[in-house]
This record gives sequence, structure tokens and C-alpha cells, in this order.
Amino acid sequence: MISNSSTHWGSISRGLHWLTLILILGLATVGLLMTELPNSPFKIQVYALHKSFGLTVLALTLLRLLWRWLAGSPEAISGTRLEQWTAKAVHVLLYILLITLPLSGWLYNSASGFPLKWFNLISLPRLLGGYNPQVKQLAHEWHENGFYMLAVLLSLHAGAALYHHYVKKDDTLKRMTGKMP
Amino acid sequence: MIARIPVFVLCLLILVPIQASATTYVQAAGSTLEFSGKYQGDAFKGRFPGFKTQMSFNPADLSKARLDVVIPLASATTRNPDYDQALLGADFFNSAKFPNARYTASAFKALGAGRYSAAGILELRGVKKPVTLNFSWQPGKSPLLTGTAVVKRLDFNIGIGDWADTAMIADDVLISARVVLNAR
Repeated sequence: MISNSSTHWGSISRGLHWLTLILILGLATVGLLMTELPNSPFKIQVYALHKSFGLTVLALTLLRLLWRWLAGSPEAISGTRLEQWTAKAVHVLLYILLITLPLSGWLYNSASGFPLKWFNLISLPRLLGGYNPQVKQLAHEWHENGFYMLAVLLSLHAGAALYHHYVKKDDTLKRMTGKMP
Repeated sequence: MIARIPVFVLCLLILVPIQASATTYVQAAGSTLEFSGKYQGDAFKGRFPGFKTQMSFNPADLSKARLDVVIPLASATTRNPDYDQALLGADFFNSAKFPNARYTASAFKALGAGRYSAAGILELRGVKKPVTLNFSWQPGKSPLLTGTAVVKRLDFNIGIGDWADTAMIADDVLISARVVLNAR
């Protein structure tokens, strides 16, 4: 099943979900380590990849939201009203971060006065007029704090999925892995 | 009569050099020396504040023309601290070890229409190599020299090791000079 239904996530939504997770884990690992590298062309290449994959997350998230809007999303399987409301809030915040985290990185890059090329293929414009030390510092703080917020929300999100799977023994996680009957 | 000949010769000896000599100029306010290049396909620009020019120039007699420019490197700036840190560092200008670059020229030729070319020598980061400066000369009380030169950064080991990759940083760096001169 490609599309979503009121009970199932289709393959497109599932694919985008897990692809985004893989990208985020890679981006987080590289992002935390790359600042320690001595300045060299290798460092520049690592940064270029971090930027390109980050922009990919931005594009995939926009596609995902568009698809979710077109194909709909299944309803919650179980949980109290508070649990369902919390899940919804976490999902909304995750989407917001998946958009603003790449954007803050893009802004940081622009305000640093650096060029930006998606996988060395497509040149992207500078946001908000290019080099600006104040914007640079601010964008860097947003990028960093946004990442920590994302890490907290992802832990809540994954924790809740595991709680559904192992404690409540419902199909919440299974329907995202595609193992739901 | 005979006694006057040495006086006449002496007068010639004094006059000839005066007539043929070029005016010597020093740099005045409003002068700029800039560089531009490409990093990851993106243009960057910078400038060399505090450069000093001395020039002897007379369009009517280029054989006496001389140019001497001293360029402090530690103050070179792209106005982007990330770039500047690398630019002044050991792999690029290494301004701690080579504080100045120097351009000297004594071979000039006219290109017509107020334009000239100087075949000079650039000493940069311990390397001396020929660099051609093409310029226009606007005569007057404070003449204006406007010129450009292309410097191949790798000729002078600017960006060594992995930085030598010209796909990342282009080899050609364009130097643009605008020098206002005052007679000394």
C-alpha cells in the first residue's frame, strides 16, 4: 500500500520517516564532531556534506508534510486524551524542528559569508543578505539549541513508540515498520 | 671661446638628465589595492590596507619609469574573519614569517590610449616571480594609476598542501589597484 489510510501508514510515509531518521543520526554525529576538525579542505568537505544532507532533510520534510496533507494520516491506536494530545504536540514540534534546524544552518552559513552548494550541484542563495556577524552568532545558537531540543523530542518520540510496543503491546510501532497486518 | 666648451658640456650633462628624468611620485590618500578570487565557485574579495607606492613615471620616456609597491600582508582582509584567519595563516600568506610582499617594475611599455604595461617582479611568501601589471595613467597634478594584474596563487605557494586544489580555490587571483599619486 503506497498511500495512508485511517489505520495504516503507507510505504511513502514510512519510507520518508525512516530515511529522515537515518539522515538525522548521521547529521547529528557528524555535526557534533566536525567542529573539532582542524581547518583544512577535508573539514570543508565534511561541512559541505553536513549542509547538503541537512538541506535534504528540509526538502524531505516539506515533501512529507505535503504527502501527509494529500494522503492523510492514521488515527491514534490507543492512549488517554492527554497522551494523544502530547503525542500530537511532539509530532508538531518535530516537524517544526525538521524545518527550522536546516533553515538555521542555512542562515548560519549565509551569515558566515560562505557559499552553499547542494552536493556540489545546485547553488543556493544567501539568506538575509549574506555576511553578518550578529546574525551568524544568533543562527548558530538557534542551530545548536534546536539540535538539543530535537534530541529531547526524539527521545520522547522513540520512548513513546517503545512504550506502545513493549508495554501496551499495540500496533503503533508496527504500523510504522510496515509489520502491521 | 675654448674655455667655454667645458662649461657647455657641463651644462649639457646637467640638462640632459633633468629633461629626460621622470617625475617621482608617492602614493596619496584615496588609493586602494584589492584582490578577488573564487572559493567553491563563489567570488570573494579583499583588500590590502596600508600598501605603499613609489613611482617614477613620465609617459614620454618609459625607460626611466620605476615602480615600487610594498604590501603589508598581516592586515590583508576579506572582511570575513573565517577567511582572514586562514588567509594570514601558515598555509596561505604566513604573514608572521613573511610580513610584506613587494612588487617592483622597471620595464614598461605603452599599449596606446593612455594604457601601459609593466613587466615587474612580485616577491611574495619568499618567492620572486614575474607578474605583469596593466594600467591606465591619467595625468594631472595628482596622476591616477588604475591597473590590474593576475597572480597565480600557486606560483607563490599561497594555499599549500590540500589547499592547492584549484577546484576549491581558483589559481588565478585578480589584483586591482587604484593609486592616487602626488609628486614628491
